[in-house]
Amino acid sequence: MQAIRVENLSKTFRVKRKEKGMRGSVRAIFHPQTEEIQAVNGVSFSVEEGEMLAFIGPNGAGKSTTIKMLTGILYPDGGRVEVLGVDPTKRRRQLAYQIGTVFGQKEQLWTHLTPYDNFRFFGAVYDLTERETEARIEELSERFALREFIDIPVRNLSLGQRIRCEMVAALIHKPKVLFLDEPTIGLDLVVKENVRELIRQMNREEHTTIFLTSHDVGDIEKLCTRIIIVNDGQIVLDDSVEHLKSHYPNEHAPDTAVHGREHEAAAESGDISDVSLEDIIVEIYKSQGET
Amino acid sequence: MLTAVKNQMRVCLLSIKYNMMREMVNKVTFLTNVGFMVLNNASFLAQWVILFRLRGDVGGYTFREIMLLWGLVAASFGLSHILFARVFSLSDLIIGGKLDAYLVQPKNVLASVLTSATDVSAIGDLLYGIVLGLICSPGVGCFFLFLLFTVTGAVVFTAFALLLGSLSFWFVRMDLLQSQMVMGIVSFGTYPDGIFKGVSRFLLYVIIPVGMAVWYPVHVMTVFDAGMLLTVLGYACTLAAVSVIVFYRGLRRYASGNLMEARL
Repeated sequence: MQAIRVENLSKTFRVKRKEKGMRGSVRAIFHPQTEEIQAVNGVSFSVEEGEMLAFIGPNGAGKSTTIKMLTGILYPDGGRVEVLGVDPTKRRRQLAYQIGTVFGQKEQLWTHLTPYDNFRFFGAVYDLTERETEARIEELSERFALREFIDIPVRNLSLGQRIRCEMVAALIHKPKVLFLDEPTIGLDLVVKENVRELIRQMNREEHTTIFLTSHDVGDIEKLCTRIIIVNDGQIVLDDSVEHLKSHYPNEHAPDTAVHGREHEAAAESGDISDVSLEDIIVEIYKSQGET
Repeated sequence: MLTAVKNQMRVCLLSIKYNMMREMVNKVTFLTNVGFMVLNNASFLAQWVILFRLRGDVGGYTFREIMLLWGLVAASFGLSHILFARVFSLSDLIIGGKLDAYLVQPKNVLASVLTSATDVSAIGDLLYGIVLGLICSPGVGCFFLFLLFTVTGAVVFTAFALLLGSLSFWFVRMDLLQSQMVMGIVSFGTYPDGIFKGVSRFLLYVIIPVGMAVWYPVHVMTVFDAGMLLTVLGYACTLAAVSVIVFYRGLRRYASGNLMEARL
């Protein structure tokens, strides 16, 4: 069954343009100039339940805008969105009970409160009874190893500890789909690996669908089975991670001649994992930039 | 439906409680803020005492009525800033794309936003206003009316700020207009309406809702008038409804943002 279905999704932002300096500022008062930017342009894809999808692209490609339309934060200008059979633009609140979000750059926790108080607040937000909230806090604090800092105000926690708490807050209501927008940004290698293992665990044990955006290839490689690359608001690649790694270098030999030869050699030796996913993604970004 | 309202109330009350807990982390700062706000308000009494020694009435108001004006403005302003302080920085949330955290929750966005902050010094305003209302009300009935108008006044303050703040979905830098217009209610509302004539009087009844937040209520408290009472109640409800509609219309234009941020 499909967890997410997107058809021809579009979103345009209108931004102001201003000429340089004071003169430009004064002129902008009397002759304001605006420009339309097509952030998302006719995007269509679907995600199966329990799938772990990487939705990536260079800065300004339209990843965050898409994720925000899927979660009901932004209204699309065109197209259709269904998450778990619910249209976020019409039934945002109904959908919110079934999804969780972690935005690595935006904290949702109250920093002056302890993680425990935060989780109780989020339990109330999702209409859990006190008993349900306590049971879920108990379960998740065990799984995410929060016990030693669950009673320390969030502002005094390390970044890694905070991200783990953010994830617990997002999971308190057992969401069926988890949207992760750069969840490992700024984390050290050990904490990153720890967070990835927790995400894998959520997917394995609760069959949670994972929709991930990240600039960290490690996140994609270690978590996701499928990858969608967007650029200039359009999908430029939709493939399985394994297929991309094993076929892209050969199929795009003129662009990636060196990598193609490397891959062939690796394939002959039976070890195709030597081909770097990061190099492939960079090549795709570059080829899109050239076109 | 009833359960949904109950759950929404539970989250709002929890939010207000957590805001208070945040403000009370530093007890000295908390008590100083409240105390100095009471003193700050009380200092304005001196000018009115001196003025009323020179004249019998100012703009048709007695000293007691002026004190009712002050009490009502302070109590309404205080109540609004204790419960819904975030509305006064709504422009910043909209322009900075900081509504995301509220939009991913299965709760009423507006209620969650409004109750997400509190202004601790406003407790001083509310206490000062209620004490002044208690002292200056000629009877128990008048004091109950004072309490009722504190609520309608807080609704007018909040709805007016919400209306102007929501314009930030369409126009930038509405924060300046919002703060100036809202403070206009405080500035003009602490003077009797009799001193304003012509256009300025019209503006203060129509554009800046000082008349409905303060002057009409004080008239009703002085000489009870059911028509005026219903007008104030109707105005507060209408302004609240219009501001909510404008907010949700604007929300469709919300553009979010990618700035790093934390919920402080």
